[in-house]
Amino acid sequence: MTDKTASLTAEPVSAADGRRLESRAPTPWELRQIEAAPKSKNRIAADRAICTLPLIIAVIVVAQYKMTPNLNDAATTNLYTGFILLMTSLVLIKYIRSFFSKTSFERLLERAPLYSVGFLLFALYDYATLKTGILPLPYFPWPDRILNGIYEDRVLLLDCVKNSLILLFSGYFAGASIGLFTGLSAGLSRRVRYWVLPLVQVLGPIPSTTWLPIILIVAASLFGGSVFLIALGVWYPLTMTSMQGVLNIPKANFEAARILGASKARLLFRVALPAAMPNIFQGLTQGMSVACTALMVAEMMGVESGLGWYINWQRGWAEFAKMYGAVIVICVTFSIVNFLLSFIKRRVLRWQEGYWN
Amino acid sequence: MTARAGHISIKDVTKIFARTDLNATLVALESVSMEIEPTEFVSIVGTSGCGKSTLLRIIAGLETVTFGQAYCDGEPISGTNPKRGLVFQEHSLFPWLSVRDNIAFGLRAAGKFKSLAGLVDKLISLVGLSEFANSYPHQLSGGMRQRVSLARAIAVSPDVLLLDEPLGALDSFTRMNMQDELLKLWHEHKNTMILITHDVDEAIYLSQRIYIMSPRPGRIAGEIPLRMSYPRNRSSSEFVNVRNEILRKLDFAKEEQVEYNL
Ligand SMILES: Nc1ncnc2c1ncn2[C@@H]1O[C@H](COP(=O)(O)OP(=O)(O)O)[C@@H](O)[C@H]1O
Ligand SMILES: [Mg+2]
Repeated sequence: MTDKTASLTAEPVSAADGRRLESRAPTPWELRQIEAAPKSKNRIAADRAICTLPLIIAVIVVAQYKMTPNLNDAATTNLYTGFILLMTSLVLIKYIRSFFSKTSFERLLERAPLYSVGFLLFALYDYATLKTGILPLPYFPWPDRILNGIYEDRVLLLDCVKNSLILLFSGYFAGASIGLFTGLSAGLSRRVRYWVLPLVQVLGPIPSTTWLPIILIVAASLFGGSVFLIALGVWYPLTMTSMQGVLNIPKANFEAARILGASKARLLFRVALPAAMPNIFQGLTQGMSVACTALMVAEMMGVESGLGWYINWQRGWAEFAKMYGAVIVICVTFSIVNFLLSFIKRRVLRWQEGYWN
Repeated sequence: MTARAGHISIKDVTKIFARTDLNATLVALESVSMEIEPTEFVSIVGTSGCGKSTLLRIIAGLETVTFGQAYCDGEPISGTNPKRGLVFQEHSLFPWLSVRDNIAFGLRAAGKFKSLAGLVDKLISLVGLSEFANSYPHQLSGGMRQRVSLARAIAVSPDVLLLDEPLGALDSFTRMNMQDELLKLWHEHKNTMILITHDVDEAIYLSQRIYIMSPRPGRIAGEIPLRMSYPRNRSSSEFVNVRNEILRKLDFAKEEQVEYNL
């Protein structure tokens, strides 16, 4: 350590502690390291301990589940153990990687408290249900029971996920593309805006699910009706945001494009559309949450398939474990959908200022 | 050999704006006439608000005239045309396009991108931005952005290049470099250049003829031909004499305005 410092001081020094810029520019990660305050030995040890914490807690979770007696000697399976071990091994992979890559270490360090609390919550819930019954059956099934519920109905659940996604995206794409069309043209043309604005102002405040009872009666097919319902909910935020997006575009951008010889179509697709993208993505995100709500309501009220239908159907049988299971599946499904959306958003909006921070 | 394109003729143009805030109208240009020959480098100087940008926007086809007529190569100007390129005062770059795609925008619009893809790279290195070809506008400095604007405008090889205070926002050092680059471009492309500037030295350094405008309403107050050879020496006596003459005329234009207001 000491001779390293000595050799560095022989060269041009920029920071007080002898760190300096190499001849090439640093990578973003190196930059963060250069600018960060140096860590003390104790701090490094504490950071390592924080990274290890989730693994220790995971072991406690399994030990607690396996070794302490169940209330009323309830029968349990190894599914929960397997689930916790699966989660643990995912963390373990990151843990092992953190020894080889500093980036992985920093990332794990940031996430470790979350993982730890996550595992801890599992243990607490298991303790309050399976072990002590503080939270009683049938309303509060223990984790192993919920997992078994999901496992038992896995084929049906998978089918429900498929049906839900088909319905969700049919409505979402229809609503988003029509909303994009009305919004962009209303933004570009005063005459279109004259007609679209009142329509939006009247229909906009009505939650799209309000129409469900009418749709249930009028629509020729429940699926078509539900697609319409979801599309209506998505159409409104997309129309508003894309219109606003176009109205916000600096005039100079349109003028520059016209001077460079852009046709009407090019003005629409190569100027108005990309320039309004930040607003449009706001609408797409809003629209997705509206669409998910409308989907659940539609499935619970009428459509005889999908996750909303499943959860409602299990309610009829008072199968609480399966209802909770469905909630988990819904959570995972919608999380993945939202993750994909924000992934696309980050790619498309790469040009935006502040994107790199 | 055909006659060179890029002749601009302004005949008795008056432009009146409606001022929505005051329920009144404002005469921005009054009976302005000018003739600009192909390949000529002309500057327009005048205090701010005297209608320079308006005049340029009329030539670009972004603004319609109230009275009179503007012509390009004998044709009345109506609407924009890639033959008349414009570099704006502020950065009007497309923030969602990289430097390369900004510069290629006009070529794509003309459907010539495939055949002229090499030109884009040539222009990028001409304005010294090879390292930033894939950067987005917000990652560039003001001077770099104006270089991109310039490259974007000349990519479609316009017969007339209209420059609305393109160097106004730059520091004096970058500014002088860019002035030399403008001259280089002009010598290479031999197009008509119409430059608006509030920097008298810049006008003298670059142009073959200078129009002086007076404000409220915007009029041509004088016209000064320059016969110095390029590159010009900013401290030569001829340069200094012309500068004094222009400053005197600008001052006179200002006095006239005071009288006018009384
Ligand atoms: N679109 C417009 N609407 C109303 N007034 C305008 C408009 N554009 C310019 N003007 C007015 O015309 C006058 C000349 O403006 P401009 O051509 O921008 O001057 P300069 O470029 O010489 O500073 C100014 O008084 C300005 O307020
Ligand atoms: Mg101006």
